[in-house]
Amino acid sequence: MPEHWFWFLATMGCVVWYSTITVYVAIRGAMDIKHMLRRLAGNGEEEQE
Amino acid sequence: MTNFSWIDGSIVGLYIVATMIAGIAVRKYVGKVEHFLIAGREMNLYLGIASLAATEFGIVTCMYTSQNGYKNGFAGATPGILAMLAMFFVGYTGFCVKPLRDAGVITIPELFEKRYGPRIRWAAGVVIVLGGLLNMGVFLRTGGDFLVAVCGFDPKYLEITMTALLLFVAIYTVLGGMLSVLVTDFLQFVVMSGGLLAVTILILVNVGWSELVAAVQKNYGAGGFNPLVKPDMGWKYIADNALLSLAMVLTWQTTIQRLLAAKDTKTGCQVYTRTSVFFLCRWLIPVVWGIAALAVLKPEDVGDNTLLAMPTMLSRLTPVGLMGILVAAMLAADMSTDASYMITWSSVIYNDILAPFHKNQWSEKRGLIVSRSIVAIIGVFLLVYGLWYPLQGSLWDYLRVTGNIYLSSMSVLLVACCYWKRANSWGAAGAIICGAVIPTAFLVMEQLPSTQHFAKVVVGPEYSNIATYIIAATAMVVGSLLKPQTKPVAARG
Repeated sequence: MPEHWFWFLATMGCVVWYSTITVYVAIRGAMDIKHMLRRLAGNGEEEQE
Repeated sequence: MTNFSWIDGSIVGLYIVATMIAGIAVRKYVGKVEHFLIAGREMNLYLGIASLAATEFGIVTCMYTSQNGYKNGFAGATPGILAMLAMFFVGYTGFCVKPLRDAGVITIPELFEKRYGPRIRWAAGVVIVLGGLLNMGVFLRTGGDFLVAVCGFDPKYLEITMTALLLFVAIYTVLGGMLSVLVTDFLQFVVMSGGLLAVTILILVNVGWSELVAAVQKNYGAGGFNPLVKPDMGWKYIADNALLSLAMVLTWQTTIQRLLAAKDTKTGCQVYTRTSVFFLCRWLIPVVWGIAALAVLKPEDVGDNTLLAMPTMLSRLTPVGLMGILVAAMLAADMSTDASYMITWSSVIYNDILAPFHKNQWSEKRGLIVSRSIVAIIGVFLLVYGLWYPLQGSLWDYLRVTGNIYLSSMSVLLVACCYWKRANSWGAAGAIICGAVIPTAFLVMEQLPSTQHFAKVVVGPEYSNIATYIIAATAMVVGSLLKPQTKPVAARG
């Protein structure tokens, strides 16, 4: 284990967690935007009717 | 000497064009003030995570956290650990945020009106905007400083760089409001995260973990790894940052706006818990960059301005191509932060400070025009303030003190509003006044030559901040107990 293992684990943990979450959020976030805009467009049409 | 080339310029240009197109394209969905300010409460979990992460990491964040790493070693990441714990605790327990989201309000002061009355709502709006704008006032200059240092631009172009940055952000924020902010935040999260990770890996590979540890050991000894044994940190630093972290999680308007824009309370709380680790990343990653500057640069390369140590190191270490990705990432970080902050403070101005004027009776069209105008005015303020305010001392200290103008009183008001039945308008007024006066006085004393020594050396930002929380809470308790209790109106029928 490298010197100052707490900071080593924290740094490596951050890099791994952040890499994973970036890919996951990039995929799921794009779907969220699609659904959000669809709902907003739907609401707008309902109000016009 | 910098590695910024035309290839990097093209990458940055492409990113800016894509962001502008995405930001402007969604303006057609903005039909109501609610769409403009809180995206019609249609935000889902992953978009919320991306937006909160992008908002809470700007160039300014990167600069003050890396400065903390340069000046304090790994111990400089302590506020990140505290922020992560605070985010997780609040999201997991729903402490304050659950009743806040359940109330269906647009801003925190709107909730306060239900307990403390309209005057306190208005006063809360004023201190939130005052603290928030003073805090945000240094964002542009810091962003400009970073870009000038990394790209190697002539410093005389700093103002032009700042103005162009703000103009890009203002255009899509004015047109699309929170909807544009969310969509561009998402793009910016992806670009920003890619750049941050790539540069961090480059540093870990090129500089190496052993070199980073050795640099901290050589400059700060054991104090560089443990804040409790570092003479200028200690318990007061931890207590100050713990209070700040909890207050920020509970009441920082840009964070709260994600909670309030969420489609329901459960989603809002999940955004908190699942973003909590990011609050450690947003500290620890730039702290590592700052430590890398400590390891790579000589003291004479940095001079007195430790804020520029990290960008100077990056300008030398980052190769062509990656430099473009880095600058695009940092622009993404900055633009998302600026846009979110502009829409956030405008929502408080419109919803709370202007409430006595519009009384929720203006037409949607008029409300939208006013909201957009407020965003534009905030942009002009930022430009002017950013140009003339001379930053004294540590950037993080400045941000803590200005943030505390409202964080202390608003967190006290919120906790009391949610969990103390006896809390009332007298206590709230006392907390707001005490919470605003102490940090403002500290800022003024820090600028005046006659009181500078007393403010910086005798008192220091930590004790000033801790005192602000204690006195604001005391004022809430004493004021509430002093106000005569009115008998509840008997229910009819």
